[in-house]
Amino acid sequence: MKTRSKVSAMFLMASVLLVTSACSSGKETSSSQSTDNPSPSAVSTEETKDTTKTDGKKIKMRVITLTTDENRNNIMEKFIKPNIAAALPNLEIEFEPGGGGEEMANKLKTLNASGDMPDVFWNDAGFFTPLKSTGSILDLTSYISKDGFLDKYSVPDALKHVDNGIYSLSSGADTYFSPVIFYHKDMFEKAGVKVPTTFDELIQISKTLKSKGMVPAVTPGKDGWGPKLFMLQQMIQIGDPQAMADLVSNKTDFNNPSVKEGAARIETLVKEGVFPDGISNLDYGPAMEMFTSKKAAMLWMFTWELPNLAKDETVDFFPFPSASEKYSPTETVQFWGSPLNGYAVNGKTEHPEEAVKLAEFLAMADALYFESLGAPISLQTGNQAMDRSPLMQKFVDWYSPIPNKIASMALNSLDSRTSAEMSTQGANLLTGEYAAEDFNVEMNKIWSENTWFDK
Amino acid sequence: MNKYFSTKLSIFVFAFPALLLFTLFCVYPLLPEIWVSLHKHDGFRNLGFVGLDNYKDVMANSSFWTAHKNTYLIVAISLLLGLPLSMMLAFFMDAQTPRFRRFFKTVAMFPAILSVTVVAQIWVAFYEPNWGLLNKILDSLGLHSWTHSWLTEKKTVMPSIGVTFLWQYIGLNALLFYTGIKTIPKSYYEAALIDGANYFQVCLRITIPLLQNVIKYVLILSTLGSMAFYSHVRVMTAGGPGDLSRTVIYQMYYTAFDTSEFGKGNAIAVIFILECLLISFVIQRFVAREKLEF
Repeated sequence: MKTRSKVSAMFLMASVLLVTSACSSGKETSSSQSTDNPSPSAVSTEETKDTTKTDGKKIKMRVITLTTDENRNNIMEKFIKPNIAAALPNLEIEFEPGGGGEEMANKLKTLNASGDMPDVFWNDAGFFTPLKSTGSILDLTSYISKDGFLDKYSVPDALKHVDNGIYSLSSGADTYFSPVIFYHKDMFEKAGVKVPTTFDELIQISKTLKSKGMVPAVTPGKDGWGPKLFMLQQMIQIGDPQAMADLVSNKTDFNNPSVKEGAARIETLVKEGVFPDGISNLDYGPAMEMFTSKKAAMLWMFTWELPNLAKDETVDFFPFPSASEKYSPTETVQFWGSPLNGYAVNGKTEHPEEAVKLAEFLAMADALYFESLGAPISLQTGNQAMDRSPLMQKFVDWYSPIPNKIASMALNSLDSRTSAEMSTQGANLLTGEYAAEDFNVEMNKIWSENTWFDK
Repeated sequence: MNKYFSTKLSIFVFAFPALLLFTLFCVYPLLPEIWVSLHKHDGFRNLGFVGLDNYKDVMANSSFWTAHKNTYLIVAISLLLGLPLSMMLAFFMDAQTPRFRRFFKTVAMFPAILSVTVVAQIWVAFYEPNWGLLNKILDSLGLHSWTHSWLTEKKTVMPSIGVTFLWQYIGLNALLFYTGIKTIPKSYYEAALIDGANYFQVCLRITIPLLQNVIKYVLILSTLGSMAFYSHVRVMTAGGPGDLSRTVIYQMYYTAFDTSEFGKGNAIAVIFILECLLISFVIQRFVAREKLEF
């Protein structure tokens, strides 16, 4: 027994010695690697940072940006990745996919709560307030004024938030994003229908398309994407643009008869079979696929998809048709932009100047991409204007002269809770099992607690 | 040797590391959670003490009760349908030749090792109302009136998600039961056969009673697994349409992160923890309390 104990004890001691020597050798290696430093133990954190810069080592930066659609992937693959090392040789950048919509909002809110915000990120009006309140978003005004980046914008004031700060840098293409109805000309021809000019005609041609075995129209409905971002706004606007403008600026609520009629129109669309079964669970990608593969004749979508859709010569678009004499598609239109949407810099980043440069690079990459597609932008790239596709030219010719451009409610009127609840209620409305009346009652209750305008 | 292990001190010394970890990672996080649930909190800022108002608001919200109904529906599907089915599969597996059994084990395990996202996407495609396989099969059988928009209709959305969950884990439970069956001594079966018992009598009188420890384990695992049901809902419907397919965990996530009402989200969490503790207690107290030795 004693012999066994001795053997065990020796084995244990040998193990301890082995582990200790392994640990100490690690330390020695590490100090031998940093022989440039006169006294590693005495170097402060700040000095270490300085050494990192002067030693020519790259500064690490984290970026979270949108990764939801083909445009974003193209910008990343064709404009950002191939050029970033040459443009910013002192930075080592780690890109994290952010997704989009609620997914991205929740990701950034969580990172903000845990103090793990990236250095640069895509900002959105939907989650700006909590970031601002915790100092997680930098006012870029002084940085971009000093280095002259601000002068590259054709309308610099358009970047300013209501508090006069500039928090996001974008290409300015957002202002030209507007919801329209894309359609396949050949499918319309085959079904013998014409572009509708009134809401009733829209219902009528949808019935005809359906009777010919086609899905009349499609749009992303999962999580209430379509209703929240544009459908409700369009359905109110086509009946009474003033009511919609008043709702965006909180001068009216969901008791307004014109607003109620807007929700009722969505209910009508669903019940009349304009959309396919299961529209309330249809995601962005599958909705796009249904249209591009010609399963659906119409796609209700923002014009950020126009450059991709224009590649198909059978695709054309028309504005949302009128539901009353108060609305004309050449007089009123919804636009997407918000000064808060774009690349932003973490207010707590250790390297604000480098992060601002990175945000400027990313905004310019966006601008170069949209410019290459002939899309209008407000950030000047210094390049000659590109030739536009006929469809893009048609859009610009229609959109630019419209005098009454109404801001998007989703970006400019909703706090986090109202935004989330509108998604919920909007998805309900798309089921066809939920009455517009119930939608209006619920939304009015939520609207009365909306804190967006409490400033 | 026994005198060292029977003292209270030695029990404490051996249990201490686990107790410390449990306290640190399970009990301690509850304290700030309870504290936040008593405050108006947006996830970043404490906006003041509100007492039990968050609890009152949460319980006055119809979505909270919809989420409860959905969660307990999943628990019911998992226990009342899933457990008997997986036990039947275990009996079936036990009755097969070794070669087929090996194949069956692989097949049974396969869905459980797949990522929830993959499984959920497969089933989303299966349920797709316009060209999904399920409606196509029903159509080809002349049962058009049985077709549905499975994931968007009020009546069908939760059962459809429940079936997905069941499909993914039924094989795993069957394997657990099968392993339990294999631990029962063969002499019991031989004695029963000599006494003239048929297959069903052997299953009912010998196998199932002797499996009670495994049943208890699977019961706890299935109940708590079903109560924590979230990922399938997230991928398949995002809790929708509206709030129709939200579970309690989803409602908690939605309240805390989507609406930025962390106080209320934490109130839901506290209520739900109490529910889970109560259910665990009931199972521990009333299910399979006799010690089996064979």
